[in-house]
Amino acid sequence: MKLTTRQLTLCAVLTALALGLSYMENFIPLGLLIPLPGIKLGLANIVTIFALYALGPTQAMLILIARCTLGAVFAGNLNALLFSLMGGLSAMLVMIGLSRLRRLSIYGVSMGGAAAHNCGQVAAAMVTLGNAAPLAYLPVLLAVSLLSGTLTGYLAGLLFRALEQTGLMK
Amino acid sequence: MRSSVKLHPTRWDAAVAAVILLLAAVTGGAYWSRTLSAGNRLQAVVSADGRELDRVDLTALSAPETRTYSGSGYSLTVEFSAEGVRVASSDCTNQDCVHTGEIHHAGRSIVCLPARISIQLTGGAEDAAVDAVIG
Repeated sequence: MKLTTRQLTLCAVLTALALGLSYMENFIPLGLLIPLPGIKLGLANIVTIFALYALGPTQAMLILIARCTLGAVFAGNLNALLFSLMGGLSAMLVMIGLSRLRRLSIYGVSMGGAAAHNCGQVAAAMVTLGNAAPLAYLPVLLAVSLLSGTLTGYLAGLLFRALEQTGLMK
Repeated sequence: MRSSVKLHPTRWDAAVAAVILLLAAVTGGAYWSRTLSAGNRLQAVVSADGRELDRVDLTALSAPETRTYSGSGYSLTVEFSAEGVRVASSDCTNQDCVHTGEIHHAGRSIVCLPARISIQLTGGAEDAAVDAVIG
């Protein structure tokens, strides 16, 4: 696979943006409202959705893997790599599939991705803990993914509308 | 733009939401049926890295009891009582285990991912099925 300088630069910028959003999310105390391990708004998913539609699945996957790896390195926690990769790759695969369904909007794709992300993270938690205890969280996490998926879909939509007006993404 | 994006919600998005809700309802229903089929003998099973560290018979407790467990460099103080179990304090990074509060019913669990410790409540009637430990 060959990337042009423009594509490589855009991937790097989007990776940095996703890392920034992941870090920013730590300051939103969602866990105090819904005390479940790993509960997040998934703001970095805005970048994944944007990359999927604007750059295609291959580059979106590269950005995701770079974001997960660098996020774990910066956090100094390699255990986090398993969680973010399992969540991120599950979300990516589901979103690639859903984005091919022409009748779905960015909201449906985003909700499917958020739900898959939570399923992937519950699976990672089961692997880490060595038992099925995290499965008890799945119903609530799936319900929350409807809200977080709608939010990230809405924000990604705003991004697309803004970029359409600038004419940068042609 | 590489591929066209639909920016307005469609009725097919509602179908995706319905599938997710159905999945939540099915997994939630499975969880509740497990809770309802549990026996009266409430036990707390503490595991770290998939290995059972401790098993406390809550129904046998006449007074609250506090025990400390360690895993992956973190320490959890767990309070057991006849009514349930809670993590009273922890030095883990996210404090999710503490914020979970007290759990009272079989099938519920408290998970501390940084410490890799889980506390599951089990009912006596289904001990053999639930307490299989992988590791």
